[in-house]
Amino acid sequence: MAVFEIKNLTYFYPESPRPALKDVNMSIEEGEFLLVTGGSGSGKSSLARVLAGLIPGFSGGRISGSVFFRGKDIEQIDRRTMAREVGIVFQDPEKQLVKTSVEAEIAFGPENLGLPQQEMARRVAEVMSFLGLADLRREFTAKLSGGQKQKLALAAVLAMQPSVLILDEPTSQLDPVAAEDFLNVVKRLNEDMGMTVILIEQRLERCFHLADRVVIMEDGRIKFEGTPEQVARRAAFCENPFIPPVASFFGKAGFDTIPVTVKEGRRVLRQNFNPASGNLFMKSLKRVHESEPILRMDGVWFTYPDGREALQDINLKISAGEMVAVIGPNGSGKSTLLKNMAGLLKPGRGQVILTGGRQESSPDRTTWDPSVGYLSQNPNDYLFQDTVEEELLYTLKNFGTGSTGAVDEIIEKLSLRDFRHVNPRDLSYGERQRVALASVLVTGPKLLLLDEPTKGLDYRLKEDLGEVLAEFCGRGASVVLTTHDVEFAAKYASRVILLFGGRVICDGPVHQVLSDSIFYSTQIGRMCRGFADGILTPEEALDVFKPAVVNN
Amino acid sequence: MKKVLSKILFWSGFGIIPVFMAAAMSGKTTISGEWGVAAYIVIFAAIALMYLGFELETSSPREIAVIAVLGAVGAAGRIAFAALPNVQPTTFIAISSGYVFGPTAGFMVGSTAALVSNFFLGQGPWTPWQMFAWGLAGSSAGMVKSLSPRIGRWGMAFFCLLWGYFFGWILNLWSWIGFVKPLNWQSFIAVCAASFWFDTLHAAGNAAFCLLFGPGFMKILERFRHKMEVT
Amino acid sequence: MLDRFFYREKGLFLQSLHPLSALVYIAVLLTLALMFNHPLYLLGLLSITVAAVKAVGGFDAWKAFLKISLGATSVIIIVNVLTVRAGQTVLWGGPHIPVFGRLDVSLEAILFGAVMGLRLLLIMSIFCLYNFMIHPDRVLDLLSRFSSKSGLVLSLAARMFPAVVSRIDGIREALTARGVDFNAGTLKEKMSKYAVLMKILLLTFLEDSMETAEAMYARAFGSGRRSCYVRENLRPRDGACLAASLIALVTAVYGWSKGLGTFGFYPQAGNLIDGRTGIGFLFAVIFLLSFPLLLSWGWHIWPFLKSKI
Repeated sequence: MAVFEIKNLTYFYPESPRPALKDVNMSIEEGEFLLVTGGSGSGKSSLARVLAGLIPGFSGGRISGSVFFRGKDIEQIDRRTMAREVGIVFQDPEKQLVKTSVEAEIAFGPENLGLPQQEMARRVAEVMSFLGLADLRREFTAKLSGGQKQKLALAAVLAMQPSVLILDEPTSQLDPVAAEDFLNVVKRLNEDMGMTVILIEQRLERCFHLADRVVIMEDGRIKFEGTPEQVARRAAFCENPFIPPVASFFGKAGFDTIPVTVKEGRRVLRQNFNPASGNLFMKSLKRVHESEPILRMDGVWFTYPDGREALQDINLKISAGEMVAVIGPNGSGKSTLLKNMAGLLKPGRGQVILTGGRQESSPDRTTWDPSVGYLSQNPNDYLFQDTVEEELLYTLKNFGTGSTGAVDEIIEKLSLRDFRHVNPRDLSYGERQRVALASVLVTGPKLLLLDEPTKGLDYRLKEDLGEVLAEFCGRGASVVLTTHDVEFAAKYASRVILLFGGRVICDGPVHQVLSDSIFYSTQIGRMCRGFADGILTPEEALDVFKPAVVNN
Repeated sequence: MKKVLSKILFWSGFGIIPVFMAAAMSGKTTISGEWGVAAYIVIFAAIALMYLGFELETSSPREIAVIAVLGAVGAAGRIAFAALPNVQPTTFIAISSGYVFGPTAGFMVGSTAALVSNFFLGQGPWTPWQMFAWGLAGSSAGMVKSLSPRIGRWGMAFFCLLWGYFFGWILNLWSWIGFVKPLNWQSFIAVCAASFWFDTLHAAGNAAFCLLFGPGFMKILERFRHKMEVT
Repeated sequence: MLDRFFYREKGLFLQSLHPLSALVYIAVLLTLALMFNHPLYLLGLLSITVAAVKAVGGFDAWKAFLKISLGATSVIIIVNVLTVRAGQTVLWGGPHIPVFGRLDVSLEAILFGAVMGLRLLLIMSIFCLYNFMIHPDRVLDLLSRFSSKSGLVLSLAARMFPAVVSRIDGIREALTARGVDFNAGTLKEKMSKYAVLMKILLLTFLEDSMETAEAMYARAFGSGRRSCYVRENLRPRDGACLAASLIALVTAVYGWSKGLGTFGFYPQAGNLIDGRTGIGFLFAVIFLLSFPLLLSWGWHIWPFLKSKI
């Protein structure tokens, strides 16, 4: 019997005229690993909430159609049973933890189920050892790293021993290493424990191949459904494919088999090409023209008050028109570097000089220079006015330049026209980020600094952001951004800086840095290594391999 | 039934304090030590009664989360405004939460802010009195709303001004009872006079904060109360 | 610094006590501190408390508590001098003041104020001990056993506090990048800048709270009767400390009802040691209260004791 049976499901959020789910029909089998993907606003999170029994019980709204859990209408099942049978882990680990200590957090669910002490003690102990949290049991939950927090959120759900596990973009706030780690646990739960897993995800490189079945949603409906390969084949030609880059490449190149991992991809390439004939391609490196630098860092060292030396001897020049991606593991000093460039932090030794600024060369700026724009990791930090327009005017007013012409221009450029008189807090995450960006760009900065702008964005939103930034650089301004997203860096950046332990380990044109690297390379780059070096994106790979395929 | 009981418990928590003060003042010859012990017993009892009142109310996960968030913001407000002397947004946050979400929620926000900030700054003998004072500030704002819903901007500012003094006086209670003899109204006035300037600054900060930003804050809180009611 | 509790886990004996026995010990100390007003008693209690503070590694923080107490002591002396007319040894006969009457400064009032300052320091030290002896988690757990909802509110707020503090820094940076200079302007302008900060903070965290509530709902919070997860152990040491504290309390109350441990300040200060002092009684109480300290000392130096208690 199917675990879930959904028939003609339509759902409206309260006070919303547009349905979040439209006429959805599907069934989910026992022990299945189901991957649900799609853009933001496609209804995948709403689907997860229906299955977890949160809609309409918690969220309210109007629902029609029916959902059966193990043959029983979900509306007939009491809340406690539902919570015990179906566990759900949400996107942001920061918002799901309620207790101060790790152990108490895990015990919270079982307590709510009213389990006896002995049973709770066993479950807490088991879950902690399974997820390797035993050493952290007395730890303050607020002090854990993002990855640890998300693991704890998973542990807290597992302690209720659900038979179905739903994960709503669980890795979107994590760095790649923690994300990998988390997904490995999920895979084990499905394979070793036989748990039914429903994974909602946008970052597909790491999880596409794990799924038994993939569902792509669009606009509240199911667009494609099938095995990863079937879906990859059908979705490859869509504009926003929602399949991993490797599959996208093979689909577009017209191969018969569509591999979805690097390993399979290399196998297919080996069958068709001779690796010995490697170096088919070396993209002519984009010359970084040595123009006048906008920002110079001379021997910058930075130490936090607690003694942590976050930056060590940084010497950099940022030239006009460059888009620089700063990559590196967590704690390598990426954000600190950005804040030093911005002037939010003052270097302990060395100088940061803004040469293109309106105030020429001022190593100890005290007031903010409007020729620098800074967007932090958290777009919400920028939003408090009642309308988007007021948000932009607020920035202008602070700098004492109140021309509304600039507002019109930015609103047009970032396609915010429809939201001009909307409360920014009513917008989605991607839209909020655009408003925050607009509130910074409205002063017309020459240098734009962005901290992790790709975090939590789907393929389409990343592309939109990339286009906006590329256009910005095209006008002679420069962008420096930190990111964990190598695919994004490969596609849009002209230069990559690899930081490790507060030092610049590697600095150069994007193709040089990323194709020399083993771990900081794209999926396509890893697949093509030995066949054609210097390839990073599916488009570049197509240029090289497609003629060969056609000739065959 | 449960609801009535919770209300009774909650309000008897408040009732204890004035009764106790009167008792302390009546017995002029009593050794202050006796009242000192009693003062702590009474304050803990008052807080416990009010918590019990909250416990018996039915509240949704949303209410719990909102109260906790307001408490945490209030607690952090003690630190965020350290740059501005005597502007303590904690009092204002307790008052506005009580005004929007009702007396019980107001008490919980105020007392949570006091206790939680002291987890990080260090607990002292003042902790229970702070919990009570900020909690009462929140609750009384809830009462004000039900008594006169159209209090208006200036009325609210005046209310915040008063609370600057009330807060100081409640905190003076413990030093008065513990360390002053004899316990009469003159000595209580003397203690309050000692803290007069401090309290005045607090009061002025409160009122200014309320006048300048009160409406904006209330709007935010109302927005979320609406969200909680819709679903 | 604000991202961790004031408490510091050091794995010490006194920190390993069951929260109930630790709380009872603290409560007994506090009761006695407020009950006795004899300088010798207060000094005796202070010496135990400070020794205990040292034993839980909180001596550095105690110095800060000492500073606050000294400041407050001066206020206490002034208020007492102003309002007390009972002292006989008048040092300075002052003018008549409305409300308060004749202002006479008597030696007794000053003495009383000073002793009360000692009591204040003692109470501050007891709270300092509390801060380092009992982990907030354990108090919250204890509280949750009686009141799950308020316990949850408190632990949720405590968990979020460091996040709120770090968010404040983030918002400050974001606003700085939009041209807000937090150091410039008049007090009113500064206030409005901070109010914007506060507004963003409220909006952000209230939004987040909806998701937190959803996670709580998904984990069956409020779905019916709860049970309570207990992870504390009662060890022989808890029984011993609990018994010592309670016997000390009973002894003290008995002695106090017999008039021991009270000091006559007015109309004329009595002798430091006289019939009402009860030196032997004082030693008995002090000994009982120092029992946990003795155990702590033995536990740290004697491995045998470690495994037995």
